[in-house]
Amino acid sequence: MKRHWLWVLLPLLLAGVLGFVISRVGSFNPTVYLRAELSILTQICGVGLALLLAGWFFVKDYSEAARQSTREESKTQTDEDRRHFLQRLDHELKNPLTAIQAGLANLGERLDSQTLESINAQTQRLSRLVMDLRKLSDLETRPIEFTLVNLAEILKTVAGMTEESRCVKGIKLTLNLPQAPWPLPLVSGDGDLLMLAFHNLLDNAIKFSESGDTVEVRAFEDGTMVVVEVADTGPGIPEEELPHVWEELFRGQGARGISGSGLGLALVRVIIERHHGQVNLRSRTEQGTMVIVRLPLIDHQK
Amino acid sequence: MYKVNPLILVVDDEPDITTNLAAFLQRTGFLTRTAADGEAALEEIQQEPPDLVVLDVLMPRLDGREVLRQMRKAGNWMPVILLTQVGESFERAMALEEGADDYLNKPFDPHELVARIRAVLRRARPGEPPLSASWMLVSGALRLERRSRRVYLQDQELVLTPKAVLLLEYLMTHPDELLSRQRLLDVVWGWEYPVGSRAVDTRIAELRRAMDDDAADPRYIETVPGQGYRFIGCVEGRS
Repeated sequence: MKRHWLWVLLPLLLAGVLGFVISRVGSFNPTVYLRAELSILTQICGVGLALLLAGWFFVKDYSEAARQSTREESKTQTDEDRRHFLQRLDHELKNPLTAIQAGLANLGERLDSQTLESINAQTQRLSRLVMDLRKLSDLETRPIEFTLVNLAEILKTVAGMTEESRCVKGIKLTLNLPQAPWPLPLVSGDGDLLMLAFHNLLDNAIKFSESGDTVEVRAFEDGTMVVVEVADTGPGIPEEELPHVWEELFRGQGARGISGSGLGLALVRVIIERHHGQVNLRSRTEQGTMVIVRLPLIDHQK
Repeated sequence: MYKVNPLILVVDDEPDITTNLAAFLQRTGFLTRTAADGEAALEEIQQEPPDLVVLDVLMPRLDGREVLRQMRKAGNWMPVILLTQVGESFERAMALEEGADDYLNKPFDPHELVARIRAVLRRARPGEPPLSASWMLVSGALRLERRSRRVYLQDQELVLTPKAVLLLEYLMTHPDELLSRQRLLDVVWGWEYPVGSRAVDTRIAELRRAMDDDAADPRYIETVPGQGYRFIGCVEGRS
């Protein structure tokens, strides 16, 4: 029951009390309408008003619920359509790619030129894209293997994995994991997938930053959620691009010339949402970007 | 050891795939024939039995899965490598359960196909069901029951994650074969990813811990430095 339904009681109680008081006082209780005493009339008014309010709330709640359910229905429908589209695309792309790869393997020794090398590289790129698309549609439906996961360890591992790319570009990383009053609690999830998600986020932060920039990874818990922030002092994302960053294959203006499939953040979103978590991104151009990941604490899991 | 020039039947409804793959296989020393659908494949198999069949799953008329089922039902244990179409794990598990010797996800590196073909031919004992068609795999004190997904060591059930069981199943059905981390990742996940080789190492460590297998002196899983893993126990299949 929603809280606003309590308002229905208000006229009922008010009229009840008022009518009772009037009838008790006795001196001021004229017959006002249809020979009914004022006390009775007040009470009838109260009941009427309560009924009216109840009716109004009912209609409002009902139509809202109806609207919501159509919205949810159409969202599930869209999700389903999109998944089918991804599967079909995957299916239509992998046969030509298999043929091209076999053809290229045949050319192998006959044509050892730059051209062949670049065709090979582009074919590899397409194959990777197909694989990423498959990952995405697979991740949306495959059952998640939930175990206890130490996020702090995952963040340390991921930080270690990016060491080389950071050193080459000259980017400073600080990893801030809480120790007091207690360390980061365990979360429930698939360690492989969470590692993939945080790897993608850190990889992005480094990829889009330049020499001298700083990347910060902070993790803490707020009583209901574990929050991980991956922040950078990179170029930031223009405001008009922000609504699209989580979409598949979206690549912003700033991403031109930087390698990537445009599926990295989409994968992060799917992984975190499959873990009953949330993702957010805040960014200011010329200042930097921060991705905020929230994962439910074990006691607060839905 | 297998013949010098084994005959491979390549079955796929895309002529560009069969032509190019056949040409590549010939260049690497195989004899080849091709078929464009399941019915044609069954005819080819009857007329001139190949040493191995590379079989696409989605085909008109008779799909690869049905071809495989009919072959196995008729007691034909000719080695088969399935080219699966769907990356989903149940599909991969099915491929092994239905008696395919191995499988690959499209698109694949043709060199990987050659490696798979060689490994399958080396392992195959003509006329006998492959390990992948057995419901129970036994290696010394280790027993994997595939239908119930349970693993026992000295009759004690081991507590393993489903992914670790999947990994052990693939290792045990491909004994004495060097399996790269990428290949194992593809087996467990259906796709590779940047941090994946670590995920394989974690599962191997989980298996070793549970099976009490010493990495320095292994009974079951051997690490091949810089290359991958190999199941070194002798595996026996029971139905």
